[in-house]
Amino acid sequence: MTRSSAAGLLPSSLTGWLVALPSLVFLTLMLVLPLGRTLTEGGLQLGVWGQDYFQGRLAWTLWQAGLTAGLALLVGVPLAYLLSRYRLPGGDTLLRLLLLPFVTPVLVAALGLNALLGPRGWLSDWLPFSPSDGPLLILLGNLFFNLPVMIRLSYGGFSRISPSLIGAARTLGAGGWGAALRVGLPLALPGIAAGAILTFLYSALSFGLPLILGGARYATLEVEIYTLTAYQLRLGEASALIAGQLLLTLVATWVYVGLTAQGSGTPTRVRPRATGGPLWLGLALTAVVFTLCFVPLLAVVARSLLGSAGPTLAYWQAVLSDPATLHFVGNTVRFGLLALIGATLLGGLHALGAWLARARTLDLLSLLPLMVSPVSLAVGYLLAYPRLAATLPMLLAAYTLLAYPLVTRSVLPALRALPPRTLEAAHTLGAGSLAAHRTVTLPLTLPALRGGAALSLATVLGEFGATLVLTRPEWATLSVGLYQRLGRPGDTNLGEACALATILLLLAAGTFWLLDGGKGEVT
Amino acid sequence: MTKLLALGLLTLTACTAPAPESTDPATSETATPAESTPAETDTAGEQPSAELGGTLRVISHDSFTLSDGMLDQFQQETGVKVERIEAGDAGEMLNRLILTKQAPLADVVYGLDNSMLPRAQAEDLLTPYRSPALDSVPEEYRLDEDGLLNTVDYGVVALNYDRAAWDETGLPLPGTLDQLNDPEYASNLVIPSPATSSPGLAFLLATVNELGEEGAWAWWNEAETNGMKIVGGWSDAYYTEFTRAGGAYPLVLSYGSSPAAEVFFAEGYDPAKIPSESPTANLFIPGTTALQLEGVGILKGSENEAAARAFVDWMLSEKVQADIPTNMWVYPAVEGTKLDPVFALAEETDVAPFEAELTEDPQALIDAWVENVQRK
Repeated sequence: MTRSSAAGLLPSSLTGWLVALPSLVFLTLMLVLPLGRTLTEGGLQLGVWGQDYFQGRLAWTLWQAGLTAGLALLVGVPLAYLLSRYRLPGGDTLLRLLLLPFVTPVLVAALGLNALLGPRGWLSDWLPFSPSDGPLLILLGNLFFNLPVMIRLSYGGFSRISPSLIGAARTLGAGGWGAALRVGLPLALPGIAAGAILTFLYSALSFGLPLILGGARYATLEVEIYTLTAYQLRLGEASALIAGQLLLTLVATWVYVGLTAQGSGTPTRVRPRATGGPLWLGLALTAVVFTLCFVPLLAVVARSLLGSAGPTLAYWQAVLSDPATLHFVGNTVRFGLLALIGATLLGGLHALGAWLARARTLDLLSLLPLMVSPVSLAVGYLLAYPRLAATLPMLLAAYTLLAYPLVTRSVLPALRALPPRTLEAAHTLGAGSLAAHRTVTLPLTLPALRGGAALSLATVLGEFGATLVLTRPEWATLSVGLYQRLGRPGDTNLGEACALATILLLLAAGTFWLLDGGKGEVT
Repeated sequence: MTKLLALGLLTLTACTAPAPESTDPATSETATPAESTPAETDTAGEQPSAELGGTLRVISHDSFTLSDGMLDQFQQETGVKVERIEAGDAGEMLNRLILTKQAPLADVVYGLDNSMLPRAQAEDLLTPYRSPALDSVPEEYRLDEDGLLNTVDYGVVALNYDRAAWDETGLPLPGTLDQLNDPEYASNLVIPSPATSSPGLAFLLATVNELGEEGAWAWWNEAETNGMKIVGGWSDAYYTEFTRAGGAYPLVLSYGSSPAAEVFFAEGYDPAKIPSESPTANLFIPGTTALQLEGVGILKGSENEAAARAFVDWMLSEKVQADIPTNMWVYPAVEGTKLDPVFALAEETDVAPFEAELTEDPQALIDAWVENVQRK
């Protein structure tokens, strides 16, 4: 598994593990121990796997995740290829904005999808069928969240291919699409497969979406785990499901880690303007992505401006004149930045360690937080740290845990793409190991670090961790304020919730613009 | 590059500098940090209490809201610093309390209801304290006479329909539970799941109360086959499936007070000009309504029992009782509390509490429901 490198006195695998040590300690405290407590609390009642019902849940979970990944491939890969090869109108803006669905709270996404596809939805009149009931809406919801992941990852894969290679294939007589298929596709395969697997994982583990959109009929395993754990306190059965699900995600992730370790090469940035076929296909695919990923968000923005009797600014006035709003924004930004600092440090170190050690296991470990059912952690925290359950450090640690894998996933490919000679050259010129890293590694990986930071901030803004720990009213963030309003009947509550959601989206767009510039790559 | 990043973060923090804690209006319900000992105020309140001091941890479900400044008053009157903890919805909260019995998360709990009391009792979570104010709560609304939980408020879980959308269906309103699972009605009905929401559980109890277990499973299965939709929680049902929010279902499970809330939270609501009718209305069908009694109680192992008692009394005090209705859309438990006029739009109905044996073990009922309905 590990090799010794010529540079440095210690075998680099050991150095790598040492560098990753802080993140490993953090992982142990925040994930391994609490998860262990949950699993041992109820004992593993593996008998549940013998029940037809749960086998059916598993089948449905895999089926919907597989179908989502397939659809995402179909739409995302051609578009990513075109974006990497040509300048498409609005292409860069699209790549940047693709992070927005990532921060959207699930209930907001459901509202938006409903405005688009519900019985009175904007698209419903055009469709020959009603998607508002049945698995289709869940698939579309999965795509809303995951198509961006697919596109950004494939884009990263394609943009590492030297255009001269494709050019050479065309000189040798391949047509444009032939060259793309025979040369481009195999080279970009790691990125594409990574996107597909991540999409599969996220969809398989999704829980908010099927719970809200699907109702009981389309419950995924994660929904069952949530119900058994949070409501029924049947930890034994839940643990069996958690363990089974973990096994499944481990296998998928192991494959994924193997694929992404191969990616290397330098991204290219010189692209011709698209014309003819590529232009039209690009525009058509952009329209599909726009409809799926942004129209639901626009619907939410529109709802904040539409009252029962036509356009109104009343909801915005109410939200902007409410002192609580500023407090929500302040908390969101404060927690976001604190978690960002933690995630950048831990995620960066973990990536550096995994790169130095060239250890697939270390690589895999960085993905653990994305693989474990959040509700099982929530119970684990209560059991392991009851005294800390409602404290701010715990809240921030939970956010950090969910955010840091994304930093690692962003920084790793950039490290792997470093020209190997550069560091050696720095050494030759008399730079010590640390200095070489500071002057060579850091500047070259900074864009990736910024991309990862943007993504990890997105997870915090999107409030995925809110269910992990107990909260306090004074810690209310934008999404908490939004859910509070959606807990009461009435037009103004809905309108103001949509206004808060719009503020959240604007805040997210602003930070992505600053941090990432749309160029970040994640694997 | 780095400069740009740092600059970006700086401007970010500068634009949204967190408000200083002490003048934090958003959270005036929560404790201000004890920078100094509270001023010795001669409270001209109804019940001047001794300076108790210390910290009180209050755990509740996420929907616990009072008007701004209410909790501050309690802190001033008693010198007790209140730390509020939110623990999800009531069902999740109960389980979290059970999991942490050995090291209690809080001193006092608000928001457990009549369907949860038996389990809280069996798990020995609560210390009895009967507030003197409980005498002013009508007997049928008292959760228990020992004061494990003192009733603070009550609500009725009931079907609501969207008047305009219902008119479009051209159907007469259903009148019995038996009719409700016919295709034309069931396909217009959305309810939150009994397994993951407390109104859903209340509805399940109501159907079992009306039809018995076997009858209820048959009813549910028929309803599901005929198009009734079951979603995760109240918000999902009301804001994505109900026709008022652009969904497909004109009939939703909510609360008796929801039509009043619809008017109160309508755009441009003017308390001086309350309309004669709400856009939604209650539909009280026998076997679909349930009385929910929410209470406050002291957790076993509380570290500040004196302050916890004061808090229990305070929740039943006149001020808080009058403040509850338009904040939480439930009815105050203490008799003679004045209601906001908008509540005239919410029909009151007489719903008797369920028999004790029905709520003895709701978990077993949910398990049976999951077994016989959800997993069919």
